[in-house]
Amino acid sequence: MQVTDLSIAGTQSTPEIRADAAAGVLSLAGDSYPENAFELFGPVIDWVERYLAAGDAPLRLDLRLLYLNTSSIRAVMDIFDLLEEAFTHQRKVSVDWFYDHRNERVRELAEEFAEDCTFPFRILPDEEAAG
Amino acid sequence: MNAAAGELDRKIEALLADPAWLDHPLREALAALWERYLAQLHRLDRIASLSDRFQALVRDRDLTRTEQFEKRLRQVEKMTRISDGYQEMMRELNLQLQQASTHDLLTGLPNRRFLAERLKQEAERSRRSGEPLCVALADVDRFKHVNDSWGHEVGDIALRAVAQAMDRALREGDLCGRWGGEEFLVILPATRLDDAMPAAERILDAVRDVRVEGIPAEHRITISIGVAQWSAQERPEATLARADVALFEAKGNGRDRVMALT
Repeated sequence: MQVTDLSIAGTQSTPEIRADAAAGVLSLAGDSYPENAFELFGPVIDWVERYLAAGDAPLRLDLRLLYLNTSSIRAVMDIFDLLEEAFTHQRKVSVDWFYDHRNERVRELAEEFAEDCTFPFRILPDEEAAG
Repeated sequence: MNAAAGELDRKIEALLADPAWLDHPLREALAALWERYLAQLHRLDRIASLSDRFQALVRDRDLTRTEQFEKRLRQVEKMTRISDGYQEMMRELNLQLQQASTHDLLTGLPNRRFLAERLKQEAERSRRSGEPLCVALADVDRFKHVNDSWGHEVGDIALRAVAQAMDRALREGDLCGRWGGEEFLVILPATRLDDAMPAAERILDAVRDVRVEGIPAEHRITISIGVAQWSAQERPEATLARADVALFEAKGNGRDRVMALT
């Protein structure tokens, strides 16, 4: 596949971002309150668009996000919109959102995100991730 | 097209097709007029059709715009809802952190950091107002014996029970917290030593009623208390040091009692 991988190390205010085209997995982990959300998420949204356009392999999002500021929420919603669009064209896409089982709030927020999505959207307590 | 017009059309077509009128001088003119009429009719149809299509296009575009606008609106509403959720989560975490940084995990009472800060504030307030201020240092009697005999878990339960009893015995405005280990500090604002002593006695009484599962009834849980009044010339640490000396005396004099350093 001609889509290059992404690997952006996380910081205190930005999540670790890894996009693996061969595996068809995009993972985001950590807090997200970047100073410039466009700068951070622009390449990610771009990667999703290129990956979806490049073939018909499945795409899975592996999310372990804790705190998101408003522009990060918007970026994540934009990514979900891309998945939704691909899903209506029979593309195999899915989201696995892992949350710390001690923080039910994050689960509730993930459910809000999932509300309008028709593609498979699983919200899982983090202990299951290990098992 | 109405019936009369249709009839006229048919009549003219019949006249033009009739060979009897082939050489009539008006025939050529009528034929030309007929052609022009048909062409105009065709143009009118085309204009109407184009106009219809254009209108449909505009209507569709308006619909798309409305749909897009409504979609954006839903997105913004969703974003706001989720953002509010995250902020609420942060606020709760902040409160938890604040509670954790100022309160003792075992007893739920204010911790040493919180007490020291409050004592400083109360001393400052007393310096301005001239009101008296007392502190009472309390220590659970023979607590090591409790831990050694019935285990640390029972010891923890006993500490919690003592903390609750002390806290319930306080007067309005007094503050009790865990100073460390089995030691508690009570801050008694606007209180002279004369009034601090009966307040401390009430705390002793409340602790005498404490019963802990796992500790035999013959072992009575008691505390000893040392009281000292802050004097305007000293730092709060000095008052605490004198309360500590008084506490030591209370222990030396047989425990389960309050002593004051005069």
